[in-house]
Amino acid sequence: MAGPLQGVRIVEMGQLIAIPSAMKWLADMGAEVIRLESVQRLESYRTDSLYHNDVEGEFWNRGANFYEQNRNKLGLTLDLSRDEGRAVLRDLIAVADVFAENFTPRVIRNFGLEYQDLRKIRPDIIMVSSTGYGFDGPWANFGATGPATEGAAGLAFMTGYKGGGPVMSEIPYTDYTAGEHTVAAVMLALMHRLNTGQGQFIDVSQTQTCSATIPEALLDWTVNGRIKERPGNEDAAMSPHGCYPCAGDDRWIAIAIDSDEAWYALCRVMGRPDWAADDRYSDVLLRIRHRDELDKMLGFETRSHDNLELMAKLQAEDIAAGAVLDSEDLLFNEHLNERRFYEVVEHHPDTGMPPLPYAGRPWKLSETPAGEPQAAPVMGQHNQRILAGLLGKTDDEIAALEALNVIGYAPLTPRGVRRPSLDEQVRQGRMQRYTTDYAERVREWFGIES
Amino acid sequence: MLTNGALAGVKVIDLTHHIAGPYATKLLADFGADVLKVERPGGDPARRLPPFFHDEPHHEKSLPFLYLNTNKRSITLNLKTNEGRSILMDLLSDADVLVENFAPRVMPSLGLDAETLEAHNPRLVVASVSNFGQSGPWRDYKATEIVEYALGGLMYIFGAYDREPLKHAMNQAQFKAGTNLASATLMALYHQRLTGQGQRVDVSIQESIASALRDVTNNYTYVGAVRRRQPNHTGDLTRLRAVSDGYVLPNPGIGASLDWQILVDFLDAPELDDPRFDNASARLENAEALGEILDQIFATKQKQDIFYAAHQKRFIYGVIDSPAETVENPQIRARDYFVPIEHGGLGEIAFPGAPFLMNRSPWAVNSTAPALGQHNAEVLGALGYGSQHLAYLTASEVI
Repeated sequence: MAGPLQGVRIVEMGQLIAIPSAMKWLADMGAEVIRLESVQRLESYRTDSLYHNDVEGEFWNRGANFYEQNRNKLGLTLDLSRDEGRAVLRDLIAVADVFAENFTPRVIRNFGLEYQDLRKIRPDIIMVSSTGYGFDGPWANFGATGPATEGAAGLAFMTGYKGGGPVMSEIPYTDYTAGEHTVAAVMLALMHRLNTGQGQFIDVSQTQTCSATIPEALLDWTVNGRIKERPGNEDAAMSPHGCYPCAGDDRWIAIAIDSDEAWYALCRVMGRPDWAADDRYSDVLLRIRHRDELDKMLGFETRSHDNLELMAKLQAEDIAAGAVLDSEDLLFNEHLNERRFYEVVEHHPDTGMPPLPYAGRPWKLSETPAGEPQAAPVMGQHNQRILAGLLGKTDDEIAALEALNVIGYAPLTPRGVRRPSLDEQVRQGRMQRYTTDYAERVREWFGIES
Repeated sequence: MLTNGALAGVKVIDLTHHIAGPYATKLLADFGADVLKVERPGGDPARRLPPFFHDEPHHEKSLPFLYLNTNKRSITLNLKTNEGRSILMDLLSDADVLVENFAPRVMPSLGLDAETLEAHNPRLVVASVSNFGQSGPWRDYKATEIVEYALGGLMYIFGAYDREPLKHAMNQAQFKAGTNLASATLMALYHQRLTGQGQRVDVSIQESIASALRDVTNNYTYVGAVRRRQPNHTGDLTRLRAVSDGYVLPNPGIGASLDWQILVDFLDAPELDDPRFDNASARLENAEALGEILDQIFATKQKQDIFYAAHQKRFIYGVIDSPAETVENPQIRARDYFVPIEHGGLGEIAFPGAPFLMNRSPWAVNSTAPALGQHNAEVLGALGYGSQHLAYLTASEVI
């Protein structure tokens, strides 16, 4: 495998996004990541958002979120509640560079997996813990979700429509914020180890990573004692600035007018010389003063335009404008396609899933690019390779572990979440629409052979 | 400069401005790299970003700028002049990393194309962050924060079902891309330390958003459905709910294995003891009815009471805190997250501190954000420029 991190071995005891997303990006770039899970405790990302919404058979090998977060990793099942499981983990730590986990400190302590425990096995180990609120302190053992840390950090409070309550996105946003910072943290620790030979303990508080990205609000409070009202889509220094309706069902365009030149260009593109001639809008302070009426006027004009066509016209005049892309727009986007942002990944033959595109990484390295992507492991896929090949266990020893369910190949109590029919999901509003020719369109656009 | 920081001995020449690039170089500087910020003679435009210290607009008083540029030194340099470029090339001779966030056409137009830089210093990591990356048909499109939210795919699923899509407050897309720029730069630097080879790093703000959308595009590739902003009542037990004195994020535990009776008892809500709600699939089928009942129940609760009661039972509830509440949060205080930093002339300012703690190579602020051109004489003096030459460069507006 290519990538700058060849030779780095990571043992990951992760769940959901915060640690798995970070370790996925390190795996993309060449690290060998061994992802632990267990047949006793089925991760919810294996049970939901299933291919074809099909809960029959080995559905746990068809969950979208598990595939999304665990690309390029090796999969090992291990029951850490048993001595035999913990013994295998200790063997792995002895040959690992990094141990990454996102459980609460209580769990880590119960398993004897704190940094001081690991150091005894591997003195230069790098351990990274990612928790909602930090590894110590009065909230240390409070479990958390992305939305919870977005709330505690101060970001959710600041976000929302004018005059309304706080609003959050439909994804666990700060899990990614934490994951992105975790990649940087692990790389810093690897640099430090190169310099000094020392490992260390990294304590990622998901809340703190998010707070680190909102200095505008936090410093406005600590220095000026002010908390701003929720801004909706307004920007204090630009007008018009917002999200405007376009032709079609739930189609929108974002427009940001950041200069007088952009304003006059907007008037030209929209065919409204009368706006350009109006002294009430001739500079940014005036446009900010008349923000509400400008938003109404512009929104009335945009609604007869296709959002992608209008974006192209505005961008041709150097105006910052972007169609509000939905998932179908993203997948079939020419720009992202030319940059090969979505990568086609082949699934294990037992899953019955065709090759499908997944989002790649936000970076490209010219000399050490990411290698060909491998799908996330089906449950227990690399048990044999890791136990025999890496740790030198005999067939008898491996069979003994399997007999105790310390390792396995299927969850002991499988329960999949069947979502309502697509018609019902559209009726409820969870989905905007659905198509039946999607598989063919994906195959054609991404050049996947059927 | 830190001696025990993870990046001790790493030399970074920082041409970035505004937010994304400076946040990346802040992460490097706060962990020990020697970051030299090269500003245009008028200064980084972020010096004009509000809010300002005591609302006094001034290029040394922008609070976001002061935060984003800790531990850096500043020189001014007009890269449109031959002398300016020549000084930059001198600085790059023994640098490890050059970081820039110009529009992609700018560096080549300054004669600072990849080939020239590589020939000058083959060990150099040239790290770029831009709106849409260094290639592709949208390479030269203009963008601001809201445009990145739209084109990255986060905006469509953000906000109320029947209203216009929304973005986060402030500048999340740029902070996200800045974090990714730091990570990718460190990967290239790690490779440089092992092999001596430099390379180019291309980070896209649009892709920073689009690579963090969970299963949104999979919903299309797996079942053909396009996810939308959800109405309030979708059977999701973890949606934000209003309580009597604010907002909480309920969460009875993760996964499909929830024992429903535990939740009924915890909320003291016998009306939920109903087969329409007692398993995940049923809750999705009866989402609207469930949502309405939950709204009524939560309206009677209080934020702190229910948060702590939930964690007694290991339900992973969350709270929505204002910046004032975040600063006062007992956990944040116990971890000394906010760090008082003495700013000459401005007094002590409580800054957001370490995003993560490293026990052997800790985060630290050893110097505050630099004044514009504060280190001109020091840096150019080290390159061998005498005071007369400095006066000439100043008079000719190179520095």
